[in-house]
Amino acid sequence: MFKKFSLEEISSQNQVKASVQRRIRQSIQEEYPGLETVLEDLLPKKSPLIVVKCPNHLTLVVVNNVPLFFCIRDGPYMPTLRLLHQYPNIMKRFQVDRGAIKFVFSGANIMCPGLTSPGGVLDEEVDAERPVAIYAEGKQHALAIGFTKMSAKDIKSINKGIGVDNMHYLNDGLWKMERLD
Amino acid sequence: MAEKLEPAKVLYCGVCSLPAEYCEFGPDFERCKPWLVENAPDLYPDLLKEANEKAADNVSDKLQSVGISSGGADGAPSSAHTGGTSKKEEVKRLPGGKVKKKERQEVIIEKVVRNKRKCITIVKGLELFGIKLSDASKKLGKKFATGASVVKGPTEKEQIDVQGDIIYDIVEFITDTWPDVPERSIYFIEDGKKVQAA
Ligand SMILES: [Zn+2]
Repeated sequence: MFKKFSLEEISSQNQVKASVQRRIRQSIQEEYPGLETVLEDLLPKKSPLIVVKCPNHLTLVVVNNVPLFFCIRDGPYMPTLRLLHQYPNIMKRFQVDRGAIKFVFSGANIMCPGLTSPGGVLDEEVDAERPVAIYAEGKQHALAIGFTKMSAKDIKSINKGIGVDNMHYLNDGLWKMERLD
Repeated sequence: MAEKLEPAKVLYCGVCSLPAEYCEFGPDFERCKPWLVENAPDLYPDLLKEANEKAADNVSDKLQSVGISSGGADGAPSSAHTGGTSKKEEVKRLPGGKVKKKERQEVIIEKVVRNKRKCITIVKGLELFGIKLSDASKKLGKKFATGASVVKGPTEKEQIDVQGDIIYDIVEFITDTWPDVPERSIYFIEDGKKVQAA
């Protein structure tokens, strides 16, 4: 999604109506209840919430020039990796084995065997089409934000093909866009 | 209300911006290494060892060169020694002594559109021909009556950003102003492809 993403991709940038802001806040809160105590700091009601529309039905939620969440079409809002690094417990986690790290860095989607091998870890509660944080064997911090193509149980039993779409990963265009100035 | 969540502190690499533990998968691990040795030695214990070994190598290099000069004073330098020294001088004598050996000597020109209308022309690589970027930036600004500045590009390498589209005149200007830059070493980036200007 963000492999070749840069400021030039932005087609519009708007401060949205109060009702829309409220709806965005609400869906983020529902998706990430763990953020409740800091949501007012992250998305202060006083500072405008900027919604940035980009090609490929991508939307960024930006506060004080910092991208905090993104979503595709009507999908769930997902945190940027820098935000997730600050609040690592707000998302369910998968872990890829060490061998998969370099593929994730190149933007590749996450194949089932990378999650089911000895170095991988699956949270069995995760359903299909859910946002999930991708960690890596031997590393502390998340390296990607994924969107599951199948449930964790199916990933385990089918163990073939793409298990999780790689939405946002370290050093992609969104990562490099630490601020929008 | 539950207690407020405290944001975790993450050590990001000062060179490549990734969490330091991921530098080894980043764009240029070699460049991160000195920073990591300083700031995150526990993450990469091997690096510290490597750095120490290098330091030791340097010392032994120095000892060796002392050996060579004393041999010369005796008036009987062995052939191996003379071979060694002449090789060193050859490297030094390369045109544009500041040039890093690994990097290809070329100038890259790219036009970038900002805010739909505004456009800048990015010039990279002049420094590889021994040209001082601050001087070059001043000359470009003067010649094209526009703003030009030396900025750090995405890879932390310095480049010159010139306001406006000067892509049609810039090649001639470069080759006229700095005859050391051959036209065949100048490239444009067009639609993501590198195209020779000549
Ligand atoms: Zn680094």
